[in-house]
Amino acid sequence: MAESSTLSPVRSRSVGDLAVIYAGNYLNKLSGERIERECRRQLDAGCRALIINFHETELVNSIGVSILLGVIDAVETTGARLVFSDVNHQTVQLFEMLGLTRHVALAKDEQEALATLSEFAPTLKAVGH
Amino acid sequence: MRQAYDELFREGGQAVPIYFALTRNDKTAVGAAKHFLQTFLLQLVAFRRHDASLASASLSIPDLLELAPPGDYEWIERLIEMTDRARSADDARSFVRLCLSAPQRAATMGARPFILLDGLELAERLNGVDVPLGTEIAQAMMHSGGPYVLAGLRRHLLDVVFSARNGNDLATSLRLERLSDEDARTMVERLARRNEVTINDQTRDLIVQQTGGNPFYITALLRAARENQIALTSFRNCQQLYVDELMGGRINRHFTSILEEVAPSVAVRRSLIRVLYESAQNEQGRAPVETWRKRLNLEPEQFQKIIRQLHVHELASMNSNFIEAGNDSLVWSDYLRARYRLEVGAEPRALVVADTLSETLKRAPQTMARHYRREAALGLRELLERFNCQRIPASLFHYDRFSRTHKGMDTDELMAALDAETDLVRLPQVVHSASCAAFHPPMQQVCDEERCAVAHGFDAGQYSDANEVVWIAAEIESKLEAGRGVTEIWCDRLMQVARACGFNRVRLWLVAPEGFNADATELLNEREAYGSSRQQLELLTERISAASAAMARQEVAPDEFEMVIPMGDDTELIAAHTVEQIARRINFQPEAINQIKTALVEACINATEHSLSPDRKIYQRFRVESDRLVVTVSSRGVIPPGLNGQNGVNGNGSESTAENSKERRGWGLKLIRSLMDEVEFERVDDGTRLRMTKFLHKP
Repeated sequence: MAESSTLSPVRSRSVGDLAVIYAGNYLNKLSGERIERECRRQLDAGCRALIINFHETELVNSIGVSILLGVIDAVETTGARLVFSDVNHQTVQLFEMLGLTRHVALAKDEQEALATLSEFAPTLKAVGH
Repeated sequence: MRQAYDELFREGGQAVPIYFALTRNDKTAVGAAKHFLQTFLLQLVAFRRHDASLASASLSIPDLLELAPPGDYEWIERLIEMTDRARSADDARSFVRLCLSAPQRAATMGARPFILLDGLELAERLNGVDVPLGTEIAQAMMHSGGPYVLAGLRRHLLDVVFSARNGNDLATSLRLERLSDEDARTMVERLARRNEVTINDQTRDLIVQQTGGNPFYITALLRAARENQIALTSFRNCQQLYVDELMGGRINRHFTSILEEVAPSVAVRRSLIRVLYESAQNEQGRAPVETWRKRLNLEPEQFQKIIRQLHVHELASMNSNFIEAGNDSLVWSDYLRARYRLEVGAEPRALVVADTLSETLKRAPQTMARHYRREAALGLRELLERFNCQRIPASLFHYDRFSRTHKGMDTDELMAALDAETDLVRLPQVVHSASCAAFHPPMQQVCDEERCAVAHGFDAGQYSDANEVVWIAAEIESKLEAGRGVTEIWCDRLMQVARACGFNRVRLWLVAPEGFNADATELLNEREAYGSSRQQLELLTERISAASAAMARQEVAPDEFEMVIPMGDDTELIAAHTVEQIARRINFQPEAINQIKTALVEACINATEHSLSPDRKIYQRFRVESDRLVVTVSSRGVIPPGLNGQNGVNGNGSESTAENSKERRGWGLKLIRSLMDEVEFERVDDGTRLRMTKFLHKP
């Protein structure tokens, strides 16, 4: 388990070929772009699955959502997997409203996200924390 | 003016009232200036001595100098010496200016003259010096340093004040509007009492309608009744007296003196009467300037002078290259017709008098009927003027719908049903309205002026070509539900007006007292025209009044918070936290609070991203009501493309989702609409203003 690079203000951690990225309190253009950048960095580094954890996220705006769609595209292009975890009820509603939930799996928490990913990628199964 | 003078004199305050009226007896500018100086000194001395009787005494200038108080003696003596010198030197211009400088000189010695100067239009007749007397007077008053009032015919007065100031017009205009019918009735009653003339309600109303409430005509008639000891208790007596006035009384002398002033030559005057009368008979009521000049057969300079005089006296109006003859006075029309028959037609006077009397007697019931119709008119023009983007239940514009769903309901039920309607018509913001006849004179032939109106406006209050719209509304007569035939005639008529005036986008609206039958409503729907009954119109009027009152209340809402944030740097979070605190105060549930916050964040982002705001600020208001929170977000700058006039679709809140579009920005408005209960763009002159409402309990 390794903490994220200090170059990126976005907190993340790697678990084998899986990475967990932690979204901040407010997902807007700036913080969204940082998450997107971190995701691309992880994918470029060979990561096969990503979890974006929204535990701390209180507010999301539409620009942040549009950037998340960019992340979904990037993940799909590389054939990797993506799960959103710890998304609060209001943000789930927002994602549903904007059609995001049709493109990404939601997990109650990080544990469930890991379990979901391991179902589809057995190699990740052994990985726990 | 004279009454104001008396009142100021009686009060005996700091201001020294001076009332002066130019008269034709002054003959020349020098005569008028001397008259002014004498009047000024007389009234000044009378005021200083607190002796009102002095003001009307006949005293020479040396007499006045004798009576002047010591404080004024020196400057008056000096002024008199200077005027004498100017007169001896035959320097008319200096003489006029010296006389008119009296208020300024008095002011420098501590007096505070308040000049009330009447009949300024006569100054033009009295010109004898290089500079027009009117301009000299206006300049002298403006330089006096004290208060003054100049009164006269408005068109002339405005020109005089404008030229005296070289266009830097700082004077305030007090325009005397036509008396209301009620005030005119009161005036007739009081004058009748004062002149001991017997009248009744019917004759009183006839006098008011026939004279158009003009105080001069009313006074002339009642004085004539007193002099001739005629009781105005029948239409016959009234009209006989009226015709006598037209043919040889004060009214006759009034118009005759104006015509003599405008055209001193008998031959020219006769030609002028011919052109004025025949032009007024013309359907359009106007003719090219060149046509008038040829018909009058005058040199350009003389022609211009005559036309200007007619313009000043409002007997003709010159607009660009056209002259419009006549005014809306029935009295002038009657006088002109009689003069035309006498002078141009050379008809016997007895015949003209007899015919005029017969015509006015036959016309009297029609005049009154016209008055009653006007009183009973629905006031379409006034109603259209109040259109200002209100949202109105659509059924009020569709008689068929209204009749199907709301007819027969009691008042409370009806109000509730209208409140519950979801299909709403957003009215345009009307910026100008006038009678249809003002745009298209032939309409006068088919309906009363107040029953058909044209209103120019903009949908959603957005000033763009696409949103420009002209409403043409008419009140049609029909005892029962109007049928297809009459409805079609009116639709065609109104479209004819639209074509003749070159209106591009029009909305026709017919109002029939009892509404429209099935065939007629089918036609209205085919033509995309609105049709309402009197009841619908009354409900519409009530709704508009209520909406206006609500708007007024909004302006002074006590439970309102305001906040201004700079754009950028995530300042929308500050707004979101603020609205959270406010929403908590009225017990919104956490989920609703989050929705309000997100909507507000989106509104702020929209303002930041799209407005090109010059001040880079977002203005927010949070109004707390018992059952809702109203959040208004506005910013200066441009209106985002696609938002113009839209209140419900697309704009920068396109309907795209992740599913159906690659365009992944511009979801803001869609989100706002989903999160809030009511969302509306309000009309503002600059930028945008978004109003979002969240109800405590969803309606």
